[in-house]
Amino acid sequence: MSTELERRLEGLFAELPEPGPEVGDRALVAAVAAIRPVAPVRRGFRSAVVALAAALVLLAIAAGSLAAAGALHVHFGAAKHSAGEVKTLQLPNGAAGIAVVVDGRLSVVTRSGFRLQGLPVTTAALSPHALYVAAGIGDLLVAMRPDGHRAWVRLAGGTVVAIAWAPFGNRIAYIVHAGKRFVLHVIWGNGTNDRVIDRSVRAVRPSWRADSLAFAYVGGGGRAVVYDIFHETRSVVRPAVAGVRQVAFAGAGSHLAVSRQQVPLGLGRLGRVGGRVVAFASDGDYFVFGVRTGTAVRVVAGTRTSRELVLQLPRSASVRAVGIG
Amino acid sequence: MRRARRGDGDAAADLFRRYWRDAWRAAFAITGRRALADDVAADGFERAFAALDRFDERRPFAPWLHRIVANRALDVLRAERRLSGDEPPDVPDLVPEHGSGDRSLLSAVADLPLERRVVVVLRFGVGMTPKEIAKTLDLPVGTVNSRLARGLEQLRDVLEVEHVD
Repeated sequence: MSTELERRLEGLFAELPEPGPEVGDRALVAAVAAIRPVAPVRRGFRSAVVALAAALVLLAIAAGSLAAAGALHVHFGAAKHSAGEVKTLQLPNGAAGIAVVVDGRLSVVTRSGFRLQGLPVTTAALSPHALYVAAGIGDLLVAMRPDGHRAWVRLAGGTVVAIAWAPFGNRIAYIVHAGKRFVLHVIWGNGTNDRVIDRSVRAVRPSWRADSLAFAYVGGGGRAVVYDIFHETRSVVRPAVAGVRQVAFAGAGSHLAVSRQQVPLGLGRLGRVGGRVVAFASDGDYFVFGVRTGTAVRVVAGTRTSRELVLQLPRSASVRAVGIG
Repeated sequence: MRRARRGDGDAAADLFRRYWRDAWRAAFAITGRRALADDVAADGFERAFAALDRFDERRPFAPWLHRIVANRALDVLRAERRLSGDEPPDVPDLVPEHGSGDRSLLSAVADLPLERRVVVVLRFGVGMTPKEIAKTLDLPVGTVNSRLARGLEQLRDVLEVEHVD
């Protein structure tokens, strides 16, 4: 039986399906681009590298000693914070859901009663109407349903640093920190048909046009670019201003705002916020932003006519991303 | 291989084409999903090519590549399992595409626990020896043999029940 079973298994695996040709083409380009050519190493250079490595090791040991003595605080990797500071996140009136990433941990509350708290993520975004939340976890892009169950998972090939759902929810633009570059992808809302759009962009959250057929992002040269999904074309926004740090399509129509300031676009209509805005997002009639004041970080959500405080944090808290639906 | 390591694009493309199909099928057999197999195999190749400068070219390329691919597939599936808790993993692609093949066996393989499924795939799908699998998964050979035996036993049980039915 065992021999027969083994024969059947070998036959079974011989009949597995073939990879799609377009997948192989994309993988080939990415793989070849990843090669670091082997160059002859000169003896002098090698000695210098060894000396530098030794110096770094000695420096690390010295730093560790100082840290142990309390003279220096040394962090290797990300600093750890308590997730307890986000437990008061409240769902604003009328909204379907709200998401906040504080100190690298995601909290989500939806109208259906779902509450997620403290999931370590790199970034996150709610889908329209808060039907899903997409998050970067390690080198995965993960979509979860409001009941907390995973909808799908994709290997992103690096850390996901920005996510933007199309207003219709049918596509997601996301940016991956892969090696020394930030790579822009678009994937369908169901987690299939992932495509690389641009291999060199800035780590700025893309912004979708209201019709979900185009989105703006900041290219590697610091210029605002609009990618047309339907025609698969890219066009630099004119006049081509360099050093762009924010892009935002209007909630209706096709007007695009571009800014060289870190101030989130679209906030002007909200009036004075009483501090420095550290994160901002809007969806339809709703907006949410985090603002650092002299004593605290406040997360405020609302509409044009009303605002409410949904979370208050110590001033040291780092609010990286917010979303509302 | 030598030319590819020096950055010769044509040689690297040849190397890719020679091993891509097997790497993808191994990823598919482990993950059970086309989309994940696309990601895992592509990522495996990217990692392998990025590390070509450290690869000992006197050794065969395929086992090294399969090691990377298998471990990436395991990483992703384990991460997924952590996220989903007790929720059973999706295996939507593996069985339906094989209506005409050995469907009951494929279904039984897809139902194996991850740790057993991986060794069965590497043994019978990729053709690795238990020793090679042990090295790939960083496990003792005895553990590999035991998982293999239990996996086969489970498959045999399922198939016998179906035969009786």
